[in-house]
Amino acid sequence: MQRKMRGRGVAASWYGIARTATVDRAGAWAELDDGGTAKVVTGVTEIGEGILTVLAQIAAEELGIRPEDVTIGDNDTARSPEAAHAGATRQTYMIGNSVALACREAKARLFAEIAAHWEVDAGTLVAFDGELRAEGTNLAMTMAEAVDLCKRRGVVPVGAGHFAAHGTGLNPEDGSGAPWQAYVFGTQVAEVEVDTVTGEVQVLGLWAAHDVGRVINPRGVEGQIEGGVVQGLGQALMEDYQTANGHPVTHGFAKYILPTALDVPEITSILVEDPDPLSPLGAKGIGEPALVPTAPAIINAIHDAVGVRIRSLPATPEKVLAAIAEKQARAAAAREAAE
Amino acid sequence: MLTFDRYEMPATLPEALALWADAPEGARLVAGATDILPWAREGRAGDVDLPLGIDLSRVAELQGHERHGSRVRLGANTVWQDFLDDAQLARWLPVMPHCAVWFADDQIRQQATLAGNLVNASPAADGTPPVLALNGELELCRWAGDHILCRTMRVEDFVTGPGATRLAPGELVNSVTLDCADGYGASFQKVGQRRSLVISVACVAALVKLDETGTRFADVRLALGGVGPVPERLRDIEDRLKGEPVDTRLIEDAAAATAARVASRSRVDYRRRVVPGFVCAALEEAAERARVAQRKEALHA
Amino acid sequence: MPEMTLDMRVNGRKVTRRADPGQRLLDFLRDELNLTGTKEGCGAGECGTCSVFVDGKLVKSCLMPAAKAQGADIQTVEGLARPGELDVLQKAFHKTGASQCGYCIPGMVMAATSLLREAPEASLDEIKERMGGNICRCTGYTKIIEAVALARDVVTGRASPAVLEPEGVGESYIGHNVRRLDAPSKVTGRLKYAGDMVMPGMLHMAVLRSPHAHAEIVSIDTSEAEAVEGVACVITSADVPGKDGFGVFVHDQPVMARGKVRHVGEAVAAVAAEDVATARRALAKIRVEYRELPGLFDPEDALRPGAPVIHDYAPDNVVKHIPIRKGDVDKGFAEADLILEDEFSTQQVEHAYLEPEAGLAYVDADDVVTVISPSQNITHHRHMLSEIIARPINKVRFIMSPVGGGFGGKEDMIYQGMLALAAMKTDRPVRLVFTREESIIASAKRHPSRVKYRMGLTKDGRITAIRFEMLSDGGAYGMSSEGVMRKAAILSCGPYEIENLQVDTTAVYTNNTPSGAFRTFGGMQAQFATESMMDIAAERLGLDPFEIRRRNMMRAGSLTHTQQRLTSASIDRVLEAAEQASRWEPGAPTMRGPMRGDLGGPGTRAPCTLGARFETPKDSKERVA
Repeated sequence: MQRKMRGRGVAASWYGIARTATVDRAGAWAELDDGGTAKVVTGVTEIGEGILTVLAQIAAEELGIRPEDVTIGDNDTARSPEAAHAGATRQTYMIGNSVALACREAKARLFAEIAAHWEVDAGTLVAFDGELRAEGTNLAMTMAEAVDLCKRRGVVPVGAGHFAAHGTGLNPEDGSGAPWQAYVFGTQVAEVEVDTVTGEVQVLGLWAAHDVGRVINPRGVEGQIEGGVVQGLGQALMEDYQTANGHPVTHGFAKYILPTALDVPEITSILVEDPDPLSPLGAKGIGEPALVPTAPAIINAIHDAVGVRIRSLPATPEKVLAAIAEKQARAAAAREAAE
Repeated sequence: MLTFDRYEMPATLPEALALWADAPEGARLVAGATDILPWAREGRAGDVDLPLGIDLSRVAELQGHERHGSRVRLGANTVWQDFLDDAQLARWLPVMPHCAVWFADDQIRQQATLAGNLVNASPAADGTPPVLALNGELELCRWAGDHILCRTMRVEDFVTGPGATRLAPGELVNSVTLDCADGYGASFQKVGQRRSLVISVACVAALVKLDETGTRFADVRLALGGVGPVPERLRDIEDRLKGEPVDTRLIEDAAAATAARVASRSRVDYRRRVVPGFVCAALEEAAERARVAQRKEALHA
Repeated sequence: MPEMTLDMRVNGRKVTRRADPGQRLLDFLRDELNLTGTKEGCGAGECGTCSVFVDGKLVKSCLMPAAKAQGADIQTVEGLARPGELDVLQKAFHKTGASQCGYCIPGMVMAATSLLREAPEASLDEIKERMGGNICRCTGYTKIIEAVALARDVVTGRASPAVLEPEGVGESYIGHNVRRLDAPSKVTGRLKYAGDMVMPGMLHMAVLRSPHAHAEIVSIDTSEAEAVEGVACVITSADVPGKDGFGVFVHDQPVMARGKVRHVGEAVAAVAAEDVATARRALAKIRVEYRELPGLFDPEDALRPGAPVIHDYAPDNVVKHIPIRKGDVDKGFAEADLILEDEFSTQQVEHAYLEPEAGLAYVDADDVVTVISPSQNITHHRHMLSEIIARPINKVRFIMSPVGGGFGGKEDMIYQGMLALAAMKTDRPVRLVFTREESIIASAKRHPSRVKYRMGLTKDGRITAIRFEMLSDGGAYGMSSEGVMRKAAILSCGPYEIENLQVDTTAVYTNNTPSGAFRTFGGMQAQFATESMMDIAAERLGLDPFEIRRRNMMRAGSLTHTQQRLTSASIDRVLEAAEQASRWEPGAPTMRGPMRGDLGGPGTRAPCTLGARFETPKDSKERVA
């Protein structure tokens, strides 16, 4: 065997969007504000996934203004409607749709006033990027002017929205039920190099194809995939929280080994859009699903490279080398038996 | 959490030694501080209050380096980054940059000292094998009431076990002196679980000088770390190779013997499997680099 | 505590303070100078979030006693650009979406600044190598490296500064790469996480944690600790006025250990004091008498008859068992040409968000008990705290501070209750910041799993039946175990339509560190086993791995494992997309690596051998900023 052996593996996966086997729900408020800006209030904040930007994009699109004109607050149980938890790949789906619906209501209030002012049908009004116009006419004004006009007519353009995802509980006997209304699927291919002297595995390339529903922010989705893949790589190859009789032995980052910039592969993300028919936005999610196929793709690639099957994570250099040695010993024994 | 009742920053060696000589029980010398601060945390020493910390980083006598003939004397405050930034040191000590690049990370190398790495005497210390290969010697000094007393000791004799050395009470490391190895090809190999900030499971330092034909080993230096209580110089293998032709089969044979050197208490099987291949790779890489160095020299001449 | 006058130039301004010379430079910058852009991620030099320049050299300020910086010129992330502006690197981070939670980002920006100053011509490999001392848990580093390369190109004149400008919008903001709105505050270190926040009169909390895995608490004597000067209060479970229990599904965990401890690191008591050092000193004076109990450390042992009982309400130690049945597995296995049996296991995994748990609690003028923390579920935490402190729900307020990484690990209310109790007891704001070690031992982990797998297939690769049995160590408390077992069961057999299956997932109590919510919530553990089996089956049947997956995949109209009818299933599309993008060469997975023709092409990197910087000529070195 050469010292450095390469191989490839694939793994597929699926995942459900939002909370499991229950009715998930969230709420939001919106207000078209002075200067053609907007306030959006909902009960969660950023955990790093980019939800604030996604919500600002959704609000901007729905209200006809720019994302930077949107102010998002307030992550506060005493000041904002319930949005429940920041997890379960539910932020874009649950909060995003709530915000879209709240914005639609606020915009409808504004459009009703402007339509009356222009004496046109509200259905002809189109707003985008801070400009409002009535289709089929040369009537136009900025959203700042529109909000001002709306307020002078005695109307503050506010809206509230809520969104529910109707999962059902599982039957306690046979587990039957409809735990989610939206599903996503993913497939990843990993290319690895195994050092047969040390047992070290490097992941050199990773292709990740994921259905995320309608994409709101492509870079944001890629960021979630890249982060998920590297967490999956950590679990596949190095991370291992250990205890001895309940006493943690990996009590710091010197012992609990995380991937560094030198350990990550080149990652190619392929975004597949299968829009969700049951929600206004059609977006689904990617936070958690990105991680699911990574470890098995890497483990399958190790098998392709050196012919050993790692059944217990992580595939540390020690484990990989022991498996190679065992395989060679088996082959030698088989040869001997044959002779 | 580490706290000090007193924290001193002496500017000269006599001041430092005088402080150290009178230091209360439990006082500690602080060089780069990159080991002592992580040590005083939960899971290791926990909260520690020390009566006195003597910070050596401003002691003038411990700075810099100078070459005397075929040896180079490194002041004890020489940090790991110096082996990457100082072209002269890199030329004199060709194994050190390869070791340095594996040592912790860019930030820690700005603070962590070679001397500190040796004194900590971790069985997995990256610094010890290359120093052993370069016949490293320490100058140990202490305060004798009105003058400084110094002695020298080979690093091979200095490190006696995990965390244990022959440093006497009141002594500190003044300098590390190494063989210059201009013209040698060098290699440092390390295996851990990732490729930065990695603690060695095993590491090896190799230096090779070729004869004028470029086909035979004129000199070989080889040392292993992480495979027993103390890093070890592999003189028998060096001797076996010296004068012999650079030949893969020969290197493999010589390296095969290293598996028996593994005396660690953990991961013994793994270390035994890794080490021979590892030593081979180090020797081959060092020989290849020696060839490149020789060709370059020929080109210049 | 010793004091000396520390003189430095910090971000161009002269600073003189009487301070403890032995304290870390990190603490001096954060506590004395309020420069909180410099973060503490681990306190042990292992993560890089605290990186600052000292006389032009980048160091980790958690490893440097402040005295070492005496007389030095210090530059922190706050000093890179003028207020309201971004420098080239910060703009590049903004452009590529390099910041996610943002907690590692100031350190990343500092490391990148150092590398562009030292090696402006650095190759991609050298960039990665020089940033190897900085850990990021969110981004997978990819967009960070992209940002640094972009900045390098602008700085060296290879690219126009225009590449840093935002992309123009077309007809819609949906599907558009709008730059992250929160990035400027993250790349400049301006964003305040809970541990960066201060309030006038604020106390600092430290937590006494159990040294035993399973022990009865005979007595707790806090009198000596309470007498320590600077201590405002000591709290134990005796201070809980309401119903003492929290958990994502079952409320089985007290705010602090009540009667017994169930894992090493469990909170037993807490001290609020004028500063952290005093609080930690007082902890050592709390006397706790324990009587050790036999412990359970293996999930199989937890199920044995006569095993020690961890929670009285669960005498069998089972947190949750989820069964799923579909079709007739006996019939399915009878129809199989090939039956494979195997076992798989996955380990406990730490979330390792770079921001350790932190929070700040106070009682406001309207008697509302308020907790600011990076909680991933303020709605549920509010419900639970209201019961714990026996106050109406509108007198409990949770504010979600910016989360420096969560991944599920900040769904458990493991410290907010203590903060609320201390704030109520002292009527002062109280802050708690976990150390990294504390975060690791006290917070939940990804569930480890053991899966016994039996799969029946026909010769042409069609799965006829699956029996899937997962046992998982839930650790000392229920946390999210119930939900994790449910999701693992629902997703267990992967994106395949299986006619006959029998799935059981079970989590049990032990005295190990609790397992809880972690990105995928059981999904990855289960599908690791399934996807390994798919390849084992493909090898045995001589089928290409994509092909065997296609022969079994779900389609529109398929019945899932829980017998839900799918209206659409994009698995065919993602399989095809991955196959094409990777230029997959078809064939059975029989250690084909040495013969493959599709290796090493576009989309792969070269293997990493350290020393990329030796390839860049030294004389190209010049200062950038």
